[in-house]
Amino acid sequence: MIKKLTSAILAALLSAVLMAQAPTGGVKGTVVNRTDKTPVAGATLKLMSGATEIGTVTADAQGNFHLDALPDGMYDLVIDATGFLTSRVNVTVNDGYVKNMFNLSLSPVAVSSVVDDTSFGEFDLDGMGYEDTPTILVDQNDVFNNIAGYNFSSVRFKARGYASESQDVYLAGIKMNDALTGYSPYSLWSGLNEVTRSKTTSIGSEISEYGLGSYNGLQNIYATPSKVRPGTRFSILTNSALYRLRLMGTYAVPENDKGWSYAFSASARLGGNDWIQGVYYRSFAYYAGVEKNWGDVHRLALVSFAAPGVRGAQNASTQEVYDLMGDNMYNSNWGYQNGKVRNARNRITFEPITFLKYDYTPSQQFGISATLLWRTGKNGYTALDWYDAPDPRPDYYRNLPSYFYNENSDFNRLNPAKAAWARDAWENNIADVTHVNWDRLYEVNRNAGGRSKYALEERHVDQNDFNFGTVATWKPRINVTLKAGLNAKRNITEQYKVLNDLLGGDYFLNVDQFAERDYSSSNTMIQNDLDYFFAHGEAQKVKRGDKYGYDYNAHILKGEGWLSGKYTVGGFEAGLGGRIGKTVFWREGLMRKGLFPGLDGNGNPISYQGQVITTYDSEGQVITSKGNSLKVDFLTYAAKLNLAYTFNGGHRVYANAGYSSESPLFNQAFIAPRTRNTMIKDLENVKSLSTDVNYMFANNGYRFRLTGFYTTIEDQTDVMSVYYDLNNSFGNFALRNIDQRHVGMELGFEVPTPLSGLSVVGAFTYGEYVYTSNPTMTATVDNSAEVVYEDLLVPYWKSNPVFRKNASGEYVRGADGTYEVDHYAKHYVPSTPQLATSIGLSYFYNYWFIDADLDYFDKSYLDMNPLYRIDETTAGADKVVTPAEVEYMASQEKFKSAWVLNFSVGKSWYYKRKYQYGFSLNAKNLLNAKDIKTGGFEQTRIVDNTVGKERYYRFDSKYFYMQGFNYMLNLYFRF
Amino acid sequence: MTVAVLCMAAGCQEWEPVIGNQGEPSDAATVTMTPNMTIAQVKELYKGTPYHFEKDIVIGGKIISSDISGNVYRSLYIQDETGAIEVKIGSTGLYNDYKLGQMLYVKCEGLTLGNYGGMLQIGYEDPTGEYETAYIDVKRIIDSHIFKGAKGTPVAPEELSEDVVAAAVKGGYKSPVFGKYVTLKGLTYANEIFVLVYLDSNANKKASGNRLFLSDQQWGIDTWAMSQNKFVEYLDSGVWDLAKIGNSGDYNYGTVADHKEEFRRNASAYSVSQYFKMPGGTEVQIRSSGYAKFSDTRLDQAILDGGKIDVTGILTNYEGAAQFTLIDLDGVRLQ
Repeated sequence: MIKKLTSAILAALLSAVLMAQAPTGGVKGTVVNRTDKTPVAGATLKLMSGATEIGTVTADAQGNFHLDALPDGMYDLVIDATGFLTSRVNVTVNDGYVKNMFNLSLSPVAVSSVVDDTSFGEFDLDGMGYEDTPTILVDQNDVFNNIAGYNFSSVRFKARGYASESQDVYLAGIKMNDALTGYSPYSLWSGLNEVTRSKTTSIGSEISEYGLGSYNGLQNIYATPSKVRPGTRFSILTNSALYRLRLMGTYAVPENDKGWSYAFSASARLGGNDWIQGVYYRSFAYYAGVEKNWGDVHRLALVSFAAPGVRGAQNASTQEVYDLMGDNMYNSNWGYQNGKVRNARNRITFEPITFLKYDYTPSQQFGISATLLWRTGKNGYTALDWYDAPDPRPDYYRNLPSYFYNENSDFNRLNPAKAAWARDAWENNIADVTHVNWDRLYEVNRNAGGRSKYALEERHVDQNDFNFGTVATWKPRINVTLKAGLNAKRNITEQYKVLNDLLGGDYFLNVDQFAERDYSSSNTMIQNDLDYFFAHGEAQKVKRGDKYGYDYNAHILKGEGWLSGKYTVGGFEAGLGGRIGKTVFWREGLMRKGLFPGLDGNGNPISYQGQVITTYDSEGQVITSKGNSLKVDFLTYAAKLNLAYTFNGGHRVYANAGYSSESPLFNQAFIAPRTRNTMIKDLENVKSLSTDVNYMFANNGYRFRLTGFYTTIEDQTDVMSVYYDLNNSFGNFALRNIDQRHVGMELGFEVPTPLSGLSVVGAFTYGEYVYTSNPTMTATVDNSAEVVYEDLLVPYWKSNPVFRKNASGEYVRGADGTYEVDHYAKHYVPSTPQLATSIGLSYFYNYWFIDADLDYFDKSYLDMNPLYRIDETTAGADKVVTPAEVEYMASQEKFKSAWVLNFSVGKSWYYKRKYQYGFSLNAKNLLNAKDIKTGGFEQTRIVDNTVGKERYYRFDSKYFYMQGFNYMLNLYFRF
Repeated sequence: MTVAVLCMAAGCQEWEPVIGNQGEPSDAATVTMTPNMTIAQVKELYKGTPYHFEKDIVIGGKIISSDISGNVYRSLYIQDETGAIEVKIGSTGLYNDYKLGQMLYVKCEGLTLGNYGGMLQIGYEDPTGEYETAYIDVKRIIDSHIFKGAKGTPVAPEELSEDVVAAAVKGGYKSPVFGKYVTLKGLTYANEIFVLVYLDSNANKKASGNRLFLSDQQWGIDTWAMSQNKFVEYLDSGVWDLAKIGNSGDYNYGTVADHKEEFRRNASAYSVSQYFKMPGGTEVQIRSSGYAKFSDTRLDQAILDGGKIDVTGILTNYEGAAQFTLIDLDGVRLQ
């Protein structure tokens, strides 16, 4: 292969020499504004051959330029204009002809920046295979997001501390965020990097061209064939952190004489990785699109794609487990079956998306586009399920040394000899202790008389999501742009589980073993499917592929309309927008749960053997599992104001403000949606107010952005399933009135050095993202729907008091006998560094690029649970609150700071001027740091059976870590 | 070629798929060991304090208990020709892995023989001294001391005469019939129970003011034991209202009626001893766990009315009284 490469390079060099004879060639074209295609007068165009400047020319009033007397060869054309980002284009002059570049579009140093890297170098790192779901909207035009998108992603950095759900991700004009959870939808097109590359991104509270958005930016991915870079491309990639191999092929035909364009792409991601056993890909992706253009007036595109596959997942464990294994990458999800590794937790997905997009552009002044999009398919996630048999998970807390011995005698774990035996098993990695013992699960099932005691369930979240979106643009005057849009969504998502694998048994019984613990003498209450029991006189014997456990539909209806206007005069720009809409949702139970039978078809209570089994809540309302819940509706609205002034020389100052009131999410509205229709009471909209002030500069290869932002988010809700130790029961916590505040700054810069092609690049962000309210919590028991706490205040959510101590370390009491508070320790929005910096060098010369960066992260915190922050838990069994208990129980863990060093190098070559091939190599975490926490959570459990009976203790938290040194090598071939 | 190079660079073991069924595994191999001591001989090693096995002692016996109903919990009873003994293995759901009639071998070295209320048990050393033995419950200890042998037919219960039971109770913990799988015939209900209830089981269980003894009469309890829900049901019915809180002779803490809300808030499942008499008057307490699946099952009306029953299960001894542990309710037959 090396020999081939060498000869190819020689051939390329030779042809360049031979062609350098008659300098009759040239380059011409028109420089236009990318957003509105208006000419850019006075742009400077500098032609480079490697590091040598060949010539410079200025575009005329119509944006036209012409460079002639050029020898054949490959050049870089560097285009600069005041108020626009510097752009660099590869130009090849052949056979002495003047190459017409037609329109060369420049992106304004402004809000919505279009990332369509046909005008960029070939060395983009976008979507190279490191991140399937980017944590921030990667945006090559924005200097901060560009750097942060690559260098901060490995620590799961979230821009401005916002949850990823708050990023609006659009595809072809349709908002694609999950209708139930709001989650970012990137996994729907992972593996389709080439065809989803063209996109527009707005940051923070900027008004996008595609919708008003919220406080965390909006990205629209075009995904239409005409936006796919023409040509044929193949790449082969290996990545030591995720999967062994990615193969990708893309074929895009630009618009032909009849106005047709096509694009096709397919990829496969396969294999495991160097770091996490059990994480494994067998994922594929396909895309096919066709588009027809009728005289640039009508445009119709039909596209269908999906990313089907199976992916083995990772699990978090406690530090005790990681230390015992000597490996922070230990994954408890897998074990040996027949001597081979098998992962119990696999995502099995096939969610095809089809859309039809129509654009009508009768004039420069008016255009309208409309999209119909349908998302459907299946999304399953497997997990072990078991009935009346020991917990098969290897890192279950009763399998660990700490369960047998703890130095603190309160725990009553006093058997060091037993702890030593347990430690011995872990430290020597005895496989049937440290991993799932599949062979035993099969043996138990085979000897259980047909009834599987262990099984693999597959939890489904299957969406049917119908969308319509339209945007009209009208430019009544050259300096006024008005936009109006309508969006509608109808989502029906069925959530249920099916039996994936009986693991050697014949059937699994469809009963609720947790209900059976409390109501073992009831035939009806233990039924997951009471109607089946009534019809057959026994619980269903579930076979492979059968639905069991729970089954319900989430119904969501959303509609909204928005308007925005932009006005420019001189260097001044003002934008104003507003949105109003309505969201309706409800639950439709499809399985009648024995615990909550509800009413029969005629509205009467249900009886069994002469006894009424219908259950009622404390207010006398029927608790219903089957049928429709109440339909709740929410009025949603938002408004935004953008102001900007662009000075001569590429300076721009701008400020944005936005307010929005969004409906709560379905998944945070029902207390226990798997079993009943009960909703959180008095659901409220989530309100956010966000402002940012920015200074940006871009000229002559310099890029700079400085931003300050302030955002408040109020009245959020959260629902979590818990095992409630104080009650020895499974239950749910529903939190209301969670408020947070995000204040901070972002700085990004790129500074050229005297050495041509070498720049210094950096990003810095520092913020304070904190909780500002103490929410209230309602806790319910799953089996009875009994309310344990109703709207109980969680007094240590936003902070915990740190009490004053005297010189001898004792807590000090004030005159009234209460302990004196020294200060309150704030609690932070978790799972992202609130301080992140990157400084690096970027070198670009003659189709080589070399990048090195050193990153530093700090102020990252662990996700909190509310149980540790209520009075009952901090008081302990003696019900006496002491300073030591509050400080221990309610404080929030801060992660250690971290340094990360990365390096990348790449090069591309041309062969016969038609073929391009190259490589890029990314080496991440060169310092091989293996102790960098990227996230985790507190277990919602307490140790309550302590000896002194005075206080409670936490369970150990669980963590995720960043992989150590890892690399990604990509080889590509394009023509 | 590129694929091959990449694959080699990557280490090909990574290509073993890990996301599906890897084929039906076979059962783990069972062992055959030769016991060098009988259960009766092992019991003789106990001299009144916990005995720590230091020598290479192997015993073997057939499994005679199952925790399927939850009445036997975290323990197995094994029986050989000479007697039977409880092995405090400490796991739950044992019936999934240990089958009735299956041979079980115990390599005793490193384990401890101790006494609980008059029953000898094999467990692990309890350094706190609270109990004479602790549960073995660490998988690594179980795997290196307890070995499953060949499966076999379940042991048939041995019918015990009243004389043998009475003699065993007199003879104490070394009596070979304790721990055995037996049938007792002709028992009649004695209209008496014993239950110890705590006001707050998270508080000090030894404090007199935290204890409620329901004894000397039936207290309206006509189920084999009581789950948490059943406990609340009994409490709310008022049948216990007059019962006094406190240890015998220390009834200074009021009655159940005075503390009903607190009892309800701290509700828990409780074991119940239902008293029976053999035809000659020997008392046998059938004690069942509040966590047993049959805990809330009512005693058959015919039993309450004085009908005779035959019971099959494990005969045990608690502080000089004959106790009886049912494996499940199939062990109760009305004559």
